[in-house]
Amino acid sequence: MLFSLRELGQWLRLAPCELGLQGLALLLCSALLVLKVDGAAAALSCWAVLGPCFAADGLSTYFSTIVSVRLCRDGEKRLAVLRLLWVLTVLGLKFVFELLLCQKLAERTHELWYGLVMAPIFILLQLLLLRACRVN
Amino acid sequence: MRMSLAQRVLLTWLFTLLFLIMLVLKLDEKAPWNWFLIFIPVWIFDTILLVMLIVKMAGRCKSGFDPRNGSQHMKKNVWYLIAMLLKLAFCLALCAKLQGFTSMKLVYVFIPFWVLLIGGLVELGYNIFCVQRD
Repeated sequence: MLFSLRELGQWLRLAPCELGLQGLALLLCSALLVLKVDGAAAALSCWAVLGPCFAADGLSTYFSTIVSVRLCRDGEKRLAVLRLLWVLTVLGLKFVFELLLCQKLAERTHELWYGLVMAPIFILLQLLLLRACRVN
Repeated sequence: MRMSLAQRVLLTWLFTLLFLIMLVLKLDEKAPWNWFLIFIPVWIFDTILLVMLIVKMAGRCKSGFDPRNGSQHMKKNVWYLIAMLLKLAFCLALCAKLQGFTSMKLVYVFIPFWVLLIGGLVELGYNIFCVQRD
């Protein structure tokens, strides 16, 4: 609505199928969360609820590695390295956030406050702003 | 008048950052505010998007507008309007649930979100498989 698919792809440097994969993972995670909270599957752990997100991160990394290898073979080495670095940074920050969130929800520890859990997302936001300046 | 990509990114970034800061303050029990107040950046952002969408739709209905591809654009805009309303419904239901105004099950809160997400995925699939093939 605010961004076209092409603009989103340019900005996030993610392929449409990667975006779809993350959307599907979000859908599955929310369904598992509802099942856990409403009591239909109360025995599910937080790690299981966020399982689809971890799987989507793994698949996205695999997909990006393949794209980068193919770019390398086509002679676009600089583009391949830049793309792989960017995608690994974004997925890495997302993965750390999910990991910290799981730890916080599973252990209910007060040492790990939500500001700290959200720190990777705040870093990711700054990176996305910088990336938008470059794209523009 | 169309906003540039930088302006749209800045708008999204600013409201997301504000919302996340307020959410962290609430979750860490540093701000004993109502959940509806925590969602203020979301309400403002959604209002801006809704106004932009309505102005765009009104512009297309004006006389003298080139009607080529008009119905296609109108369908897209109607879907965007429905998506915005679904997002608003989800946020309102979530706030009401978190604030304890209602005891309804979480599954009813998430129905608009799922419809929105499935619609988004279908649109993405359409863009990948149909538009690119054309």
